Amino acid sequence: MNQYARMIIVLMIISMASGAVLALSYEVTNPTIQEQARQKLEQSVLIVIPGATQMEEIQKDDITIYIGLDDEGNKKGIAFKTAGSGFNGPIEIMVGYDPKEGKLLGIEILSMSETPGLGARIQEEAFKDQFKGKSVEDEFVAKQDVEAISGATISSTAVASAIKTSLEKVVEIFPVGGDY
Amino acid sequence: MQLFKDFINGLWNENPIFRMVIGICSALAVTTAASNGIAMGLALTFVLTCSSILVSLLRSVIPAKVRIPCYIIVVATFTTVVDLFMKAYFPALYEVLGIFIPLIVVNCIVLARAEAFASKVGLARAIADALGMGLGYTWAITLISMIRELMGAGTLFGYRVMGEGFTPWVSAILPPGAFIVMGILVGLINVINRKTAKRTQCH
Repeated sequence: MNQYARMIIVLMIISMASGAVLALSYEVTNPTIQEQARQKLEQSVLIVIPGATQMEEIQKDDITIYIGLDDEGNKKGIAFKTAGSGFNGPIEIMVGYDPKEGKLLGIEILSMSETPGLGARIQEEAFKDQFKGKSVEDEFVAKQDVEAISGATISSTAVASAIKTSLEKVVEIFPVGGDY
Repeated sequence: MQLFKDFINGLWNENPIFRMVIGICSALAVTTAASNGIAMGLALTFVLTCSSILVSLLRSVIPAKVRIPCYIIVVATFTTVVDLFMKAYFPALYEVLGIFIPLIVVNCIVLARAEAFASKVGLARAIADALGMGLGYTWAITLISMIRELMGAGTLFGYRVMGEGFTPWVSAILPPGAFIVMGILVGLINVINRKTAKRTQCH
């Protein structure tokens, strides 16, 4: 057999076999991967909206809003995702917000790659808890009304200003005291 | 006997990390916690063993001129399989190891063993070599990550072992810590090897 033809045929067969294996493993794992991602999202929404046991996803003006509901279907607050640029890369944050009161319910860090022991401490309760009860009127400036982690001003600022920026957009959609 | 020799080779004499110093990109990057070290090592061992088996079986079929693309397709396929399964069933681990799982494709240990060993020997020897190299990589990066976790966080496999008064040396889990710990270990292993080599010469 012509050696070039042989090269092409062998490479083609190997690629086709590889494609088949990949398609099969994708089919097997994809439902689980989707389910994992959904569960993780739901968990973070339920954490930032105290009292919520289920969530509902809605789309408004390019922003995805998650509404937290309790067992009776009462609205407990809304949650939205935001991202700030930290010291080593993006910091993804889930923010819980009560439009009736115009106050934050809590935040959760979804993903980040900050320095361990310094910026990574934004995941600690002590840092996250200070956002509970903060009003939309607040400035969200690190070292002023937001306590920055010592040695990690950039990470702390990134979280605070990311929340402030998206909060302003969300407030435009759901005015304080209004229905949602 | 030959099989045992092939297996032991990767564990010590030609340990990929400490002796050949190949594939250390991932070894330096993921070794911030002992559990990451083990997981990364086992993922690489799986890919290495599967691809060595296929390369050894196909060694008479693959034309010499296109062998590298063939090996890469084989390695990339197994890596993607590991990537997908880890994402589905061990999401927490996947998040930590992140980009380094897909990067097993370009980890030079895998291609080096396919090219230098598996493509020249029979199935049994290829498997013995792949397991030895894979486990050699695993124990090496697990040791590095245990030292780094202990010094940088005061824990081992997530359990606190250092007392309350321990101040973590944060640099150990930062990139410079990886170089320092690995450098010291490579040096120590060189000393051990030199000592044992001298002893055999005396006899």
